[in-house]
Amino acid sequence: MASITLSGVSKVFEDGFCAVDALDLEIEDRELVVLVGPSGCGKSTTLRMIAGLEPVTSGTIAIDERVVNEVPAKDRDVAMVFQNYALYPHLSVRKNLSFGLERRREYTSFLQRVVSSAYRREARAESSSIKSRVEHAAAMLGITPLFDRRPAELSGGQRQRVAVGRALVRDPSAFLFDEPLSNLDAKLRLEMRTELKALHKKTRATMVYVTHDQEEAMTLGDRIVVMNEGLVQQCATPADVYGRPANRFVAEFVGTPTMNFLETSVHFTEGRLFIMVAGDKVPLPGAVGGTLSPFLGRGVVMGLRPETLHPGAHGVAARVELIEDLGDRQDVVYRLDSGARIVGRIPSDTRLREDLRVHLPLDLERAHFFEDTDEGMRIG
Amino acid sequence: MSALLALIGKSTRAVLVGLVFVVVVFSFARVITRDLLGENERAETQLVVMHWSGEGGQEEDVIVEDALAIFEAGHPGIAVRRINPGDARSFYTKLQTMMAAGETPDVFYVGSERLPAFASAGLLMSIEGLLADDGEALAQGADLPDPVVLEEFYSATIDAFRFDGERAGFGALYGIPKDFTTIGFYCNLDLFEAAGLEPPREDWTWDDFIAAARGIGALPGRTGAEFVTWPEMLRLYLRTEGVDIVGDDFDDIRLRDPRVVEMLERLYAWRHAEPDTLTSGKSKVAEGASVFLTGEVGMAGPFGRWVVPSYRKIDDFRWDFVPMPRGSEHVNAVATVAWAISSRTEHPRESWDLVRALSSAETQARLARLGLAVPTLRSVAESSAFIDPALAPASDRAYLAAAEVARVIDWPTDPKFASLFGTRLDQAVKTGNLSVEEAIASFEHAWAVEGTSPLAREEFEEMPWGRLTTAGSAFLMAMVALLWLVVHSTRPGRLESAEERAGWWMASPLLIGLTVFAAFPIGLSFLLSFARWNGVSPIGQSDFVGLANYEQLLRADDRFRTSLGVTAYYALLAVPLGQLFALLAALLMNAKVRGIAVFRGMWYLPSVLAGVGVAVLWRWVFDGDNGLLNGILGPLLAPFGLEPPEWFGADAKTFGAPAFALMNLWMVGGSMMIYVAGLKGIPRELYEAAELDGAGPLARFRTVTLPMLSPVIFFNGIMAIIASFQVFTQALVMTGGEPGDTTRFYVLYLYNQAFEFYEMGYASAMAWMLLVIVLLLTVVVMIGSRRHVFYEAFDG
Repeated sequence: MASITLSGVSKVFEDGFCAVDALDLEIEDRELVVLVGPSGCGKSTTLRMIAGLEPVTSGTIAIDERVVNEVPAKDRDVAMVFQNYALYPHLSVRKNLSFGLERRREYTSFLQRVVSSAYRREARAESSSIKSRVEHAAAMLGITPLFDRRPAELSGGQRQRVAVGRALVRDPSAFLFDEPLSNLDAKLRLEMRTELKALHKKTRATMVYVTHDQEEAMTLGDRIVVMNEGLVQQCATPADVYGRPANRFVAEFVGTPTMNFLETSVHFTEGRLFIMVAGDKVPLPGAVGGTLSPFLGRGVVMGLRPETLHPGAHGVAARVELIEDLGDRQDVVYRLDSGARIVGRIPSDTRLREDLRVHLPLDLERAHFFEDTDEGMRIG
Repeated sequence: MSALLALIGKSTRAVLVGLVFVVVVFSFARVITRDLLGENERAETQLVVMHWSGEGGQEEDVIVEDALAIFEAGHPGIAVRRINPGDARSFYTKLQTMMAAGETPDVFYVGSERLPAFASAGLLMSIEGLLADDGEALAQGADLPDPVVLEEFYSATIDAFRFDGERAGFGALYGIPKDFTTIGFYCNLDLFEAAGLEPPREDWTWDDFIAAARGIGALPGRTGAEFVTWPEMLRLYLRTEGVDIVGDDFDDIRLRDPRVVEMLERLYAWRHAEPDTLTSGKSKVAEGASVFLTGEVGMAGPFGRWVVPSYRKIDDFRWDFVPMPRGSEHVNAVATVAWAISSRTEHPRESWDLVRALSSAETQARLARLGLAVPTLRSVAESSAFIDPALAPASDRAYLAAAEVARVIDWPTDPKFASLFGTRLDQAVKTGNLSVEEAIASFEHAWAVEGTSPLAREEFEEMPWGRLTTAGSAFLMAMVALLWLVVHSTRPGRLESAEERAGWWMASPLLIGLTVFAAFPIGLSFLLSFARWNGVSPIGQSDFVGLANYEQLLRADDRFRTSLGVTAYYALLAVPLGQLFALLAALLMNAKVRGIAVFRGMWYLPSVLAGVGVAVLWRWVFDGDNGLLNGILGPLLAPFGLEPPEWFGADAKTFGAPAFALMNLWMVGGSMMIYVAGLKGIPRELYEAAELDGAGPLARFRTVTLPMLSPVIFFNGIMAIIASFQVFTQALVMTGGEPGDTTRFYVLYLYNQAFEFYEMGYASAMAWMLLVIVLLLTVVVMIGSRRHVFYEAFDG
C-alpha cells in the first residue's frame, strides 16, 4: 500500500481550459479519500493524472514518495474502476479478472517456457498463483458463480463487481474509482456503496474515489476533498465538511436539502449584538457574537441547515408554503415575510398544514456565517 | 457536413428545399405535358428513329438530324423523333429494352453481325414487298424521292442483310446498308522504310505479310504487327486460304480440318514462337486499334475503316491501308450497318420513305466525309466525298477493290456460337494458354453441351401469362386483404387510427415505389426464370420451360461453373483483403491530426467516382506490356529471376481475379468510413483499462478494438461478400470476361446471357441462383460468426 502526494499539480488542456489549478493533496497510506464536486470541477482529471492516463502540465505526483510524472500508467501500480465498467466484452468474467495478471507475465515468453524447465516451473507456479488470486478476489465480491459468463450476461451491479474484482486481483498500491456507482440504480448504488466501504475496511488499501454525489462522498470517505473549478474548496473529514464548511460553495454543495442562506447584517444597539433577519432583530448569543463582531455594520450571509429549523412559539414569522412528506420526515418550505424561502426538515409526527402561519426560532449556535463576498469564506 | 449545414443556416435550407420541390414538380409537369402533347400530335404520323454515334461522335448526330429535317420538310404530316443512346453497346441495350417493352423504334441501325438473331426473332420487317411496290410505282412513272436501286450498292453489303431463316447472305432483305467497311491492315510506312522494306502492295500475300512483320520485328524496340483474333477476323483469315470453320450449314463444324488446324497453328507460331513478330496478345491496352498509334508496331489489323478518324490524328509517321493479304484465295469481308424497319411499326410505308431518305446519296456523302466508313452506294464511294487524296490513307480505293471480292461472314442465330468460338480460340491464338488442339477441343465440347442442353429442346409450351396474371393478381389481392385484416384485427381508438392513417400516408410513396419499381420486376424475373424469352420479342412470345433453366445451370453449363469459380476466387481474396485494408485505413483516419477530415475525404473519394472511368484507368495500371504496375514490379522482381504476371493475359487464370481484388482496394472508402464511425464509438475507458492492465498497442488492438468493432466488421464483411458477387462494370470494361472465361464474373455472364445471347429467362434464373448463393453464404457467415460478434459492445 502507498501514500499519494500531489504538489502544485495543474492541468491545462490544449484548448487552454484549466481543469486543475495548482492542486496540493496528501493521501495517506490506507486512506479512502473522496474527490467530490460538480461536473467539470477537475476531480476526474485529477484521478486520471494519478492513474497516468493524463499527463500533468505542471507540479508533481508522487506515489510512495516516488515521483511518477513520467512513469507510464501500467508501471504506476495503480488500478482503476471506471464508471461504465470497461470490461472486455469478449472475455468471460474469469478472463476479465485475470487479464491484467496475464499481461504482466508476458515477460516469460512461450519460447522460454519451452526451452527451460525452470521457466516452466515458474510459469506453472505463476499460473496457479493467478488462479488463486482470481478466485480469492471473486469470493470476496461474491462473483464466483458468474465465472464463465460474459459481461453481456451480467446485470449492472454484477458488472461493477467484476470491474472492482479486476482491480482487486492486481493487488495494487492504490485503487482509483471514477464514479463507479453512477450507472447503477438508486437501490443498487446504496448496496454497492456499503460493499465498497466494507471492502476498504477489509483490504485497508489506499483508495481515491471520485463522485459528484455528496452523499456518497460523505458516507464513504475517510476524508473528503470538495473541488470546484479546478480548485480544492475544502479537504477534511466528512463531519468537518458538513459541520464546518469552509465556504459558501461547500456549504451549499454538501447536505440535502441544501443549506438555507439568508442575507443579514450585524448591528449593535442597546448594548447587544444582533442581526437583522427578514426584518426581525435577532440577538446573537455570546460566542457567535464574538465571531461576528468584526463584521459590525456589514452584511453577512447566514447559513441554516434544514434540520435546525423547527416551528416554535417565537422566532421569525413565516408561512408554510409546501410540505413534502418523505415518510420518516417532512421537508417543509416556509415563506418568510421578507419573501425569502427556506426549507426545514421536521419529524414526520409534527402536524403542520400548508398556509399555516408559524414562527421559526433561529438556532444561531448551529447557524453558519459566511462573508458576503464571491468566495463567501466561513466566518469563525 | 454538419458544420456546412450550420453555415448554410435555416433560411437558406428552406430555400433549397423549395428549389428541390420546384424542380420535382417541374419534371413531373414536363413529363405529363409531353405525354398530353404527344396525344395531340397523333393527328399526324409520328416516327421514332434510333441510331448510335460511336466513332462518329456528335457529327454523326448532326448529319442524321439534318437528314431528318429535310425528310420532315418533304413529308408534311410526319414527325420524326430521334433517339441516340450513345455508343453501339448502349444502343443495343436500349433497343432491346424498348423492344421488350413493345415500344420499338420504327427505324433503327442494325449491324450485320446481329442480323441473324434479330431477323430470326421476327423483329425486323422484310423490305422485299416495299421494294416491289416501289418498282411498280416507278414503272408507272411515279416520282419517287431517293429510290433504292439495289444494283447501285456494293452487292456484298446488300447480301449482308439478307436472311433466309437459317443463314445470312441469302433470302429476304431486312435493311438498307448505310455504310460499310472492308478489312485489311494499317501499315506504318516509316517502319517499313526503316526495315528496308517496300511498302506493301494491294495484292500482297501472307508470305509478304509475315516477311514484313519479321523485318520490322527485328528492329530494336519494334513489333511486327498487331493481329486481332476476333471471331470474324479469324474466319476471314481462314477464308483467305480457302477454308472455314463451318461447311454449308452450322452443324458441319470443320475446325478439325487439317488445313484449318494448320492455319491456326501458323498464326499461333507467329505469335508465340517468334519474338516481336506479332504483339504478345497479352496486353489489354496495347491491342487492337490503339497500339498502332504508338508508332512502335509495323502493322495493325485486320480492321475496317472505323479506325481512320483516330489514325488521321497521327502526325509523327506515315501510314496507309492494305486489304487482307491473299492466301490461296483472294477474298475479303464486309462489316456493315443498315437502316432497318421494325416488324412492329404501324407506319411501314412512312418508315420505308424515311429509310430511303436516310440512305440517300446525299446523306451517305455527308457521312462519308467523317472518314469512318465507306458509302454503300458505288457512285458516292467513288466520288470525292469518300476519296480524298488530301487525307490519309492514300489508298482509299483499296477498300472499294476489296468490296468486289467481299463475302458475308455469317453466324448462327444463336449468338453463343460466336461468343464461344471467340473466347475459346483466343486462348490459343491470342494468349497462348492453350494449344490450338486444346482450344478447338474446348470449343467443340462447349458447343456440343449447348446442343444437348435441356433448353435446346424445341417442344416447349407457351408461357401461360394469362393464367399467371390472374394468379398474380389474386395473390396480390389476397395479400392486401390479409394486410387489411391484420391491421384491423385490433380495434384501435380514434387517436390511434388517425395516427395509423397518417403513417400509411407517410409510407405510401415508398410503398408504391417499392411495389412498382422493385416488387413487380422481382416477381416478373422469378416467373421468367421458368421461361425462355429472348428479351426482344414481346414478353407474350415466351415459352414455359419448367425447371429447364435451372437444370441447365446446375448440370450442363460449364461457363456458369467457371463464372461462379472466378467470382468465388475473387470474393475469397477481395473480402478479407478489402476489409483488412479498410480497417487499417480507418485506424489511420481515426488519428487526431489537424486536417484529418481532408484525408478522410481523399480516401473516400475513389468510392464515389464513376465505375467506367475508373475501370479504364485500371486497365492501364494492370496492362501486361505497358502497365504502371508491371512497370514497378518488373525491376523489383528481376533480381529474383521473376517476371511480373500478365494480369489479364496469359496469367489471367491465376492473376485475373486477384487483379480485380487489388483494384477493389482502391474503393474501400465506404467500408473505411463505417469503420471510422465504429472506432469512434469505442469508449475511451476500455483502452485506458487495458493500458492500466499493462496491454501494449497491439494487445489493446486485439483485446479492445477488434472485439468492440466486431459487429461493424461483421456488417462490413457481409456487405463486402454481397458486393463481391456483384462485380460487373469493372469486368465488362476492363476485360469483357476474357481471355477465355478467366475473368467472366457471375453477373457479367448473366449480362452476356441476357443482352448478348438473348436468354432473358436463363439470365433471370441466374439472378435467382445468385440470390440463393449469397443468402446461403450470409447465413453460414452469420451462424459461424455468432461467437465472435459482441453486440453488447454498443449497449454502453
